[in-house]
Amino acid sequence: MNLLIAFLMIFSNPSDKIKIVDPWMRVGAQGQATGLFFKIENNSDKADTLYKVEFEPAGLVQIHETYDAGNNMMGMREVGKIIIPAKSTFELKPGSYHVMLMKLKQDIKKGYVGDVALYFKNVGKIMIKVEAKEMMMKQTMEH
Amino acid sequence: MKTLIKNILLFSTLLITANILSGCYEHFPLDQDITRTQNTFLNQDSVKVEFPTIIKDKITLLAMVYTHCPDICPMTTHNIHLIEQRLPAELKNKVKFIVISFDPNRDTPAVLKKFAQIRDINFDNWSLLSGDEQNTKEVMLKFGVKAILTDSTYDATGELSYNIIHTDRISLIDQDGRLRSNYKGSTADLDMILEDIKYLGE
Repeated sequence: MNLLIAFLMIFSNPSDKIKIVDPWMRVGAQGQATGLFFKIENNSDKADTLYKVEFEPAGLVQIHETYDAGNNMMGMREVGKIIIPAKSTFELKPGSYHVMLMKLKQDIKKGYVGDVALYFKNVGKIMIKVEAKEMMMKQTMEH
Repeated sequence: MKTLIKNILLFSTLLITANILSGCYEHFPLDQDITRTQNTFLNQDSVKVEFPTIIKDKITLLAMVYTHCPDICPMTTHNIHLIEQRLPAELKNKVKFIVISFDPNRDTPAVLKKFAQIRDINFDNWSLLSGDEQNTKEVMLKFGVKAILTDSTYDATGELSYNIIHTDRISLIDQDGRLRSNYKGSTADLDMILEDIKYLGE
């Protein structure tokens, strides 16, 4: 019986169906805003939707998209949700989709590690630990 | 015969001068004097400064940003910071970094200071400036920077919240106060900017 429960737990673990890879947040000062980035791997056979994110040190959290507004201008808008098709990976990254952490209640300094809750329509809540960096190392190297 | 030799020499001199000048123009797409007018700002320590007087005789990288931007402006600031770290030793004291807010209502000197400190920015070579609407607009016009308020809402506490669609740019100014080049800020080619700074520093 115990084996069966363990087996069921493994297969009902949301992290099997949705995997969060390389999460990081940009440093940010108290009262200001910053961004949270990660890859979402959807290993299941159906699409899932990220519709809410919680981060206690932020007074307001929204899912946003940075976009090219033309004439060398960049803009940002709330998108509300992100749909990840079955068997695909969606990347939230600088200059593109990101989670905007606003009204920070504290300084988020380099090396800070915080708990973030991600809410998906199908797999439910996934908790992740996220470290604060100035910029993701790979992007720094690419320059 | 003498007249002919004189003419040949004169023509050669003109040709060489033209070549040198065209070489300069080819290296930099811009040559715009930004010293004709001054604007008053407060720096991150609330000290009144005149721009561009504070960059006199310095090679300068300038960006206009707002601190509530979670993505593009931090990327631009980070790129300038990376360029500073990669400057050769002989240029370290010859280059100045200026960040001016186009959202001065929210970006007070104290806010700009926190924005810089959390990123370990050294104020020896950096100045973050906040000004009134008139001075800010004049500098935006000078550098061709646009900023359009969007998504304005009042939150539950009655505080006005908004985003800004804005020009994504880093500008290079030479030691004589002339704007020489504009680059994309958030996705800047750091090698290119470093080469241009070295070119000016030679």
